[in-house]
Formats: sequence, C-alpha cells, structure tokens
Amino acid sequence: MTAHDPLYDAARLQEIADLDLLSPEVDPTLADVAALAAERLGLPVSLISVVLDEALHVAGAHGIDGLWLGETRGHPVEWSFCATSVRTRDAFVVESAATHPEHATNPLVTQDGVRCYAGVPLISSRGHVLGNLCVVGLEERSFSPADVEVLRELAREAVRRIEARRAA
Amino acid sequence: MQPSTRTVIPGYSLRPPGEADARAALQRVFGEERGGERWSQACRAAGLTPGRVEDGEPFERVVEALSAQGGSTAVVARSMEIRLRTYARLAAHAAGASR
Repeated sequence: MTAHDPLYDAARLQEIADLDLLSPEVDPTLADVAALAAERLGLPVSLISVVLDEALHVAGAHGIDGLWLGETRGHPVEWSFCATSVRTRDAFVVESAATHPEHATNPLVTQDGVRCYAGVPLISSRGHVLGNLCVVGLEERSFSPADVEVLRELAREAVRRIEARRAA
Repeated sequence: MQPSTRTVIPGYSLRPPGEADARAALQRVFGEERGGERWSQACRAAGLTPGRVEDGEPFERVVEALSAQGGSTAVVARSMEIRLRTYARLAAHAAGASR
C-alpha cells in the first residue's frame, strides 16, 4: 500500500458514489450478466465486484446464495482477487489458487476452497477502475485468451448498464 | 487509541474494525487533516467524543453517521460496514462450530 495506490484514490471512490454502485437496486440490473459469465465459462460463481478502499462490495452476483458471501455481500479487501485489477487496470487470472504466491494463504482459498479465478476490470467512461467482472471456481483450471475475451465483452456490457443508471 | 480487543476469528485472521481503523482509513483517502475532520464530525453527529469511541454499538453509530456524510466518505463507511458484517457472520459460524 502506498500513498498512490489506486485503491485509496478519493476520485475513484467518488466515482463509485456518483454511480450509486452501493445501492441494492444495482444487483437486478447486473445479475444476468454475472449468470452469463458463469455459464459461458462453466464455473459456479460470478461476481460483479466494486472494490472499495478496505472492502470488496458485491454489486451483482450469480451462485452465492447459501454462502456466507451471499449474506455479507462483501469481504475485506485484503482477501480480494479483484483488487489486483484496480491496480494494474488489466485482467487477472489465477489457475491454481492453492499454489499462487499471493493467494495461497488467502482465507478464501484456505477456508472456503477457492481454487481458480479470472477477472477483468470494470472501467468507467471517466477512466476509473470500479471493480471487476470475475468468475470463481472450486477446482483448478486453465483460462484461454478467448475465455478472458468473453469476460471483457461482458464487462463492457456491465459498465454500459451501470452508466445508463447514472444517465437515467 | 487502543486497537479493537475482540477475538480474532481462527483461520481468517480477522478482527472487527474499531475507531483507530476507521480514522486511519479516512486519513489514507483524504489526508491526515481532512480525514480526521470527517471522523470528528461523524463522532459529534453520533453524540460521541472523537478518540473515545468504544467498539460495538457506539462505533457502529459513528459509522452510520459517516455514511450520512455521503459521497466518497460514505464509500469508506461502507468498507467499515462490510468488515463489521463479515466479522459478525464468520464469528457466529465459528462459535457455532466450536459448540
């Protein structure tokens, strides 16, 4: 964490507020995008995450009913795979979480069984990375460039819907 | 300021946020002076004294007041709410599992 870490950029957090991304009304507009991502990549869970300064907020989701994440709708940011894309502005893929140098000790891996992850950033028209569209699985797997492109395409649709709410 | 003394959840290494955490979070985003001002304003709105906010219900009341400030301050407040909610949910599960 540095003073210039995008996670703590006040303008980025203001953009999240301006887009009203913490409202429960966002989920119905994004849940089918998450469902489509899970279906097309053949994985049980997909999230449209909003990465805050100290936590990840679940703005839209598929496959988390019955999990603790379905109740909390978020978790501490230090467990977040999605925070990486806020910093790099690029896709982040983890094919074997249990052996990944950053995430092998992540409680989502050690306690909750996450084994693979692929996410792409949601970038607003003002240039801020809001969070990610991601898929999560409980078994190791590889992701092809085509898989990532599917996520990018759906992420663009998610951002379009998010910004349509601002315009409305 | 003493850090929260509530139990760390085994396996998750998670403790609930307290006043020092919230103030530090605000100062990371808004700078030392402006972040501190926002925290003090929230404490006053909640009828509490900055630097003397106890864990639990008093702290949660200040986080609510912080949320009411709106904008990016409310986003920082939501981070605290999520961390509190996650701690409560996982602590309850851990307590149930140990019975």
